[in-house]
Amino acid sequence: MIRHHPDDALLLAHAAGNLPAGAAILVESHLEACPECCERLHVLRTVGGVLLEDIAPVAMRPDALTRALAAIDGGPSSDAPAATALPAAAPSRPELPAGTLWPKALNGCTVSPWRWLGPGMRWSRVTVPHDKAANVFLLRIAAGRNLPMHSHSELELTQVLYGEFGDERAQYRPGDFDGVDDEIHHEPRVRPGSECICLTSVQGRVLFKGVIARTVGALVGI
Amino acid sequence: MPWPPYLSIVTPHHTGLMPTGDELSAFIQAVAAHGDRQAFAALFKHFAPRVKAYLIRLGSSEGIAEDLAQETLISVWRKASTYDPAHAGASTWIFTIARNLRVDHFRRKTHALVVEADECDDEQMPDTAPEPDEELSLRQREHHVREAMKQLSAEQVQILRLSFFEEHPHAQIAQELGIPLGTVKSRVRLAVTHLRRLLGALEP
Repeated sequence: MIRHHPDDALLLAHAAGNLPAGAAILVESHLEACPECCERLHVLRTVGGVLLEDIAPVAMRPDALTRALAAIDGGPSSDAPAATALPAAAPSRPELPAGTLWPKALNGCTVSPWRWLGPGMRWSRVTVPHDKAANVFLLRIAAGRNLPMHSHSELELTQVLYGEFGDERAQYRPGDFDGVDDEIHHEPRVRPGSECICLTSVQGRVLFKGVIARTVGALVGI
Repeated sequence: MPWPPYLSIVTPHHTGLMPTGDELSAFIQAVAAHGDRQAFAALFKHFAPRVKAYLIRLGSSEGIAEDLAQETLISVWRKASTYDPAHAGASTWIFTIARNLRVDHFRRKTHALVVEADECDDEQMPDTAPEPDEELSLRQREHHVREAMKQLSAEQVQILRLSFFEEHPHAQIAQELGIPLGTVKSRVRLAVTHLRRLLGALEP
């Protein structure tokens, strides 16, 4: 059962198509797993539909409909083949524990092999082809470990893929979503007994406390 | 291939009048069922200038807005068979297509085409098929949301409108409401919470 969801401000920005690529991937990875948030999103899309209905129209060019009909007559869609024209080669990705699926939101992204980040900590860089500035990565933290205490200059979004972590606020399990902004300093700790894998997106800088923690941050480039 | 006019569900006395939500929804289904060009023309006439206005509001040039509005309506033709009237109103469905094309367009500028799948597709969500009585309320969703929005304060409606029609909505909301940027998010949340509560009363 999913207990933690993206908040309304985030979901509204997603419905409006206003999220940066990294944040959009995180919200999409949650939506894939969460019918409840799909329903919330649907309400917000409907707000978009109502606003579209009420907007003051701007006239199309006189030949617009003729051109649209000509495009329709031009045969099968130009976008249908594109869907299958994506690179056919199966992307190589680091392994996940059996039964854990890759979020579809990562389709088209490159995912690096697991890299050492510190004792009991590994990470993998997710490269978002359409936004090089997006800072998305996977963290794989061993059972019982904690991440260094940190806060954020803007926004850190996390979707739990496997295992469980907790901090001062709550416990987060697979399917759960966590969004923390500059108001929160936290020190996530992975539950003893099982490692934890999360997909994370960071906007702005993560501010670690302490020299070692800052070095770790510099490694990941966050 | 054009279909004879008698197969069309578009009757002449609609010209000039704003079609209702049910009519717009029926037009999409007529396009899906038998490639009804008159129904498509009616959809085009109604939605293309609105989609164009939406894109201009979000900072697109006139030319790009015209092209993307074209592309949106052509997608409506091509995707008509995937439209489920029990799930979404015509405006909501077409808004989502326009929103996705806009997002894709700006991604494409920097990279090869990324096909945006809908993360909430029904096929991915086996247990979201609406119950029969739920279906009725889903079909009326646009109507209910419109009613609920009428009951929001002018400021909350403005927050929703800016959220959809501004490129940098939070900065714009702060400016127009004269509030610090740091409190915008909580105002946005309040507006959505209020809307949900009103909607909950309309959709028991």
